[in-house]
Amino acid sequence: MTVREAQATSAAATVMHRRRRIPASDWIVRIASIAVVLGAWQLAGPMLNPLILRPPSAIFASFFELIGTGELQEALWQSLREFVLGLAIALVLGILIGILSGRSRLFYNATDPLIGALYSVPSVALVPLIAVLFRSFDDPPRITAVALFAIFPILINTQQGVRNVDRDLLEVARAFNSSERRLWTDVIVPSATPFVLAGVRLAIGRALIGMIIAEFFIGLVGLGYLIIKYENVFRIDAMFVPVILVSALGVLMMGFVQWIEGRVAPWLRREH
Amino acid sequence: MTERIVVERATKRYGEMTVFQTLDLSVREGETVCILGPSGCGKTTLLRSMHGLIPLDDGRIVIDGAAVTSPRRNVAMVFQHFGLMPWKRVSENIAYGITLAGLPSAVCAERVRKYTEMVGLTGFERSYPYQLSGGMQQRVGLARALAMEPDVLLMDEPFGALDAQTREILQDELLHIHTLVPHTMVFITHSIEEAIALGDRVVVMSSRPARVREILAVGIPRPRTVASVIAHPRFIELRDRCWRLLREKAA
Ligand SMILES: Nc1ncnc2c1ncn2[C@@H]1O[C@H](COP(=O)(O)OP(=O)(O)OP(=O)(O)O)[C@@H](O)[C@H]1O
Ligand SMILES: [Mg+2]
Repeated sequence: MTVREAQATSAAATVMHRRRRIPASDWIVRIASIAVVLGAWQLAGPMLNPLILRPPSAIFASFFELIGTGELQEALWQSLREFVLGLAIALVLGILIGILSGRSRLFYNATDPLIGALYSVPSVALVPLIAVLFRSFDDPPRITAVALFAIFPILINTQQGVRNVDRDLLEVARAFNSSERRLWTDVIVPSATPFVLAGVRLAIGRALIGMIIAEFFIGLVGLGYLIIKYENVFRIDAMFVPVILVSALGVLMMGFVQWIEGRVAPWLRREH
Repeated sequence: MTERIVVERATKRYGEMTVFQTLDLSVREGETVCILGPSGCGKTTLLRSMHGLIPLDDGRIVIDGAAVTSPRRNVAMVFQHFGLMPWKRVSENIAYGITLAGLPSAVCAERVRKYTEMVGLTGFERSYPYQLSGGMQQRVGLARALAMEPDVLLMDEPFGALDAQTREILQDELLHIHTLVPHTMVFITHSIEEAIALGDRVVVMSSRPARVREILAVGIPRPRTVASVIAHPRFIELRDRCWRLLREKAA
């Protein structure tokens, strides 16, 4: 390579390094879209049936009301605990089983039919059974329900990630006499990571649904309880506060995972 | 000259299909042997067996007097598909083999610096493979193999995926590197010009089951460049001979 060629390509490389972030114009579009929807919703307010939908300003007022009485914080703390612990269990078990079944044919054949069967049953149907199983209406059955909802996308994606390791790279590892441990750290884990993280993103949405359903069926607590409570007294404005909070939680968590992905898998940050 | 690699009556089958049968071939110390053959005739399979990545069904391959059964540290491979880890930076990819070999980290760092420079990638140590052109990616693959400081380089169509211009630049650089470090090299290619430009001898294979059709001594003096080889009076004669051998078996 000539010196000039090297300089030209080097300049190109710096440009590529710089162009990784989401440009500001993307954010403007995102925020504007939310603002337009909220604005239209507010303007349509007087035409809405108050038993079905209230305008954003009313929901906003209820938000502060619920904070004032302290019940929102209490419910949020309760729900977050279930969500975080349940998701953590799903992560540990899902990744563990996913790796084992992705790498060992025996384990794969032993677990695959069971996982397939369990995945096909609507998880909702199992939630009341979990309470019966635990003989309790406390946190543990609710955490279990969250884990049940969240585990499948993590498990299946991890399994696929481990099974889909580029065969060419496995050959390279063999050609350079890689140890089994280095095979994992150099090849299998990094190539499975994006699959696992995509699974986690899907799992977050499912974990939140599991959390609310568990709170409906098992013991009536947390944000799920708030939804039921205010719906029963036709306080739709107050009912929407926990609903919006749950959805905001989902958006936030998925953004967080995406941020992690950018940190641990920088090779995926290509330009579009 | 001593013989570094000896293939003795090697046979490889995949089920009913015989890839090559009772194949004999030898490569001398410091020599470059280019293997030309039709697609699917078993060139990659032969190279893999030379590195002990797959077992033979019969016969044996001997390197430095001992039969090959698994990859050795003094043999390094360059792949047609580059085989870079997308999650490793250029310097980490180049260091891959030598860190696996357990060399002290100071030695690794020095070798990475040396071979990054030798393949002209200085300044790109922190880039990821996706930020590089195909030609630069294969420079990384080459540096990763060179860093092992092997006695033998096994090259499986390393420039096959590159455009003609990039290919010629890399051929010239490989010829130059050979003057610095005279490896024993087995170089597989589809290109007649490439085989003549790089090889001391060119082995023309038949289609499956692969046999050695003919071995041509190139006899064009080194140091060479691609341009000097093409301009050499023997070039046309060699090229026509290879071309005819490859065509005959296609018919
Ligand atoms: N693992 C395998 N199992 C079964 N058949 C295989 C396997 N690997 C290669 N083959 C077959 O063996 C034959 C030779 O393959 P090989 O890759 O060695 O050819 P090649 O000469 O390198 O071809 P190309 O020039 O296209 O790279 C092909 O018909 C291929 O389909
Ligand atoms: Mg091949």
